[in-house]
Amino acid sequence: MFGEKAVELIKELDRCPTSLPPYNTDLVSEVNNEMRHLIESNQDDARSEEENRSLSGESLLPTIKCRHSAVIRNIRCLLAYHYNRLRVLRTMRWQFGGVLPSDIKQNLSHLEVEWLTKYSNSLAQYMRSVGEEGINLATNLKPPKSLYIEVRCLVNYGKFELNNGIVLLLKKNSRHFLPRSECEELIRQGVLEHLVS
Amino acid sequence: MEDDENLHALLDTQDDEENEIELSPAVLIEVMEEAWLNEKFSPEILPNKIDFVELLLGQLSAMEENLENVGDRDIKKTLHLLEVDRLRFLVGSYLRMRLEKIEFYVDHILKQENSRLENREDLYLTEAELTFARNFKEGIDNHFEHLMRVHPTIPVDWKNQVIQPNIHSFVFSRSKTNIESIIIDEGNDDETVYVNKDSQMIISYNSVSNLVKKGDVQLV
Amino acid sequence: MDPEEVEFLGEKENVVIVPTFNYGVIHLIAGDIGPFRAGLPIKVPLWVAINLKQQQTCKIQQPDWMDVENLEVLKENEKNAITFTRMPNEHYMALTKALLKFAPDDLIRANEIRTLVKDIWDIRMSKLRSSVDLLIKEKSSYAAVDNLTILEINSVRPLLPHALDQIHRMKKLQGPQLGTNSSAGHTSSYSFRS
Repeated sequence: MFGEKAVELIKELDRCPTSLPPYNTDLVSEVNNEMRHLIESNQDDARSEEENRSLSGESLLPTIKCRHSAVIRNIRCLLAYHYNRLRVLRTMRWQFGGVLPSDIKQNLSHLEVEWLTKYSNSLAQYMRSVGEEGINLATNLKPPKSLYIEVRCLVNYGKFELNNGIVLLLKKNSRHFLPRSECEELIRQGVLEHLVS
Repeated sequence: MEDDENLHALLDTQDDEENEIELSPAVLIEVMEEAWLNEKFSPEILPNKIDFVELLLGQLSAMEENLENVGDRDIKKTLHLLEVDRLRFLVGSYLRMRLEKIEFYVDHILKQENSRLENREDLYLTEAELTFARNFKEGIDNHFEHLMRVHPTIPVDWKNQVIQPNIHSFVFSRSKTNIESIIIDEGNDDETVYVNKDSQMIISYNSVSNLVKKGDVQLV
Repeated sequence: MDPEEVEFLGEKENVVIVPTFNYGVIHLIAGDIGPFRAGLPIKVPLWVAINLKQQQTCKIQQPDWMDVENLEVLKENEKNAITFTRMPNEHYMALTKALLKFAPDDLIRANEIRTLVKDIWDIRMSKLRSSVDLLIKEKSSYAAVDNLTILEINSVRPLLPHALDQIHRMKKLQGPQLGTNSSAGHTSSYSFRS
């Protein structure tokens, strides 16, 4: 059935709305092949329809229309698949900052990598332009409760230097009382866990 | 007599100007909070409040600078820093919401800005937001063009599918003044109502959008 | 809206604290607080009060409306009124929660306060649910929601606006000719007040 493969792409989005599975090169090219086939068949049929217009016989028009709808539907699914991946990607850009974890990065198509670089750049350019010294919009994501929060380290991260020059050793399961603004990013990256009393 | 009136008029305008420039920081925060809530609940992007943002950010930097010489154990340092954090959240959250709307409705917003430009109206976006919007659109367009390049013969209707905010969506509003008439978009019939100061309503955004932009209605 | 953001707004409300320290005026951007004199009550925003309390440098005074007697009256009124009564504070819920969490030792009969405020909230919520139900059945285009606090409004968001939006779409499709049965008998607006 036409369009079935394209729907698979949509199902894939639906299965993982917040994560980014590997770019499905195979399925995308299968959809593209199906479209190519549909378009070519339509062009052929359109030509013979032109030629045979005067002859009585079965019209090919319904077939052509049917294939055309399938093409439109495939386009729609393809765009939805790619657009929604970009949406997830932009959310991740906010979550992880400029550098994506390598296990996510390898799931991107090269077009997506290009898009992300451009997005990151224009975001950085925007943030520099606000106020006299720019503003980092990737921090202060939630209303602050206090300046310091208690955190637990989830991985062996290593050394971490605070703004006041103190260097901490972040070991797995170690607990720390840190300035919220300075460890927010590590919390988002899953290095630290905010312990809520 | 006439001179007197002129003098008054002159003083009045001076007052107004001063009010605009020398807004007290407390009022500035209030304006920012209102802008934050309005932007949060309005389906469309609202006229920017960048002047207030810049003023407030200026206050925050000045405060942080002052605090550099204050000892860490001083009671006032903690409180000042916490206040700065709270306000940074407010400003940051406000600007983030605007960027999110710009990304989501980029085609629609750019079209509107272009027609404002043509009609010599004030733009809703700041210059930096406009640049961001144009870059964002370019990025998305490039991405899709590349993808569709394998099908050179397909119809290009897909380019015209623009995501628009639903301005009929329902919002909660609080009137900041008595309002003579709000036109209720009934879908099949229109109706006007008088609304008292401080009353709260749930209402179609469309019915109050101008009042929100004018500052007579606050979204909550 | 994120519940934390509703709290954020509530934390601006003033409460009275009794500091255990002496300190001069602090010029916050939002306005001056202080001077602080040990033992002398003084008004500060809730977020300041919580911070000082966490450092154990003040007691927070229970607001008058939070006294058990007053809450009982509020609860009775809320129960008897058909409409929503006016709450003593726009952020009554946030204030109660914050005080119960950070300064339970400063409250008189804290447990009863907890129960009473929860009761009042529940009564209001059940009113809100039946109003919403009626509002949707009446297919209204707008409604007055006076005296609802931000947290309460937030609890019906986004469901109620969404439902009304769907109704609006259907009305639009119906067109002016077919919509006559609703405009003939009564106006299609409905007020939570009446």
